[in-house]
Amino acid sequence: MKQFAILMKKEWRENLRNFKLFWIPAVFILLGIMEPVTNYFLPQILDSVGNLPEGTVLEFPTPEPEQILVAVMGQYQLLGLLILALAYMGTIAGERRSGTATLLYVRPLSFPAYFMSKWMMASIIALLSVWLGFLSGYYYTYLLFGGVDLTGFAQFAATYSLWILLVISIILLASAWMPNAGLAAAFSLGMIVISQLVDSLLGTYWPISPLKLPAYAAAWLGSGPVTGDFWWSAGVTVLLIAALIGLGIFLSAKKAATTKV
Amino acid sequence: METSRLLLLLLPVLLIQLGLMIFAIIDLIKIPLTNGPKWMWGVIIVLVNIIGPILYFAIGRRNY
Repeated sequence: MKQFAILMKKEWRENLRNFKLFWIPAVFILLGIMEPVTNYFLPQILDSVGNLPEGTVLEFPTPEPEQILVAVMGQYQLLGLLILALAYMGTIAGERRSGTATLLYVRPLSFPAYFMSKWMMASIIALLSVWLGFLSGYYYTYLLFGGVDLTGFAQFAATYSLWILLVISIILLASAWMPNAGLAAAFSLGMIVISQLVDSLLGTYWPISPLKLPAYAAAWLGSGPVTGDFWWSAGVTVLLIAALIGLGIFLSAKKAATTKV
Repeated sequence: METSRLLLLLLPVLLIQLGLMIFAIIDLIKIPLTNGPKWMWGVIIVLVNIIGPILYFAIGRRNY
């Protein structure tokens, strides 16, 4: 426990000094703000850059406030995950290359504390970013389109947070496993994209799946997902996160020997 | 009226963009090596709106 506290302090300082604590939330907030604003000004934007012939009349249905928040989530699913993967691909793999790892591995290091400190820090920053991003998106949606039920919004953001924790676990596992940062990012993004593809193609046959969490999150903004399916999916996700962390701890200890000196 | 409202709405975006740019430049000055030439990243950070600093932090920064 004492090791964990010390390693946590190291992670905190590192994330402060490489500005990850600032730029990742800033990106998520930007994405959260831009979505409602571009949707609101879509007719004007099309007018000025759309190159439409004279006299074209386009009728846009005003989007529902809930749809805007779901669109923000869609942005996070694309760009947000990419940003997270790029930011955290090097947490362990990069440390082995830079030589920081040798300073740690020569000491009697507890690998659970080592891996968990990294997982905690990455999760804290990712969740902070997602919540700040959703809140700014919520605020702008409220200003431009109208209010969204606050309980539904909280359930939506909480469900999506669980999905983000799963993504962070996959990225850190890849970083512990792969020999370098680039491969770690490629592996984790590939895993997420391919499993999502499989789930969207064949997923109608199984309602219980961690990959359906974003869809269930979106459903909270409407009438809510099927309760049983949702709680089972959430439970499976928690177990999966625990398994990924366990595997990550194992691999980070096993691959410690590949460190370059 | 429409333009002033748009400006008010986009003010936070501009502030965040400015903040990102300042952080990126401070980091670029302090860091010994980047992926690719340093002056190129300086140009990207200053000239490419919004995604310039993000690109620098995500790809240009050498974390190893």
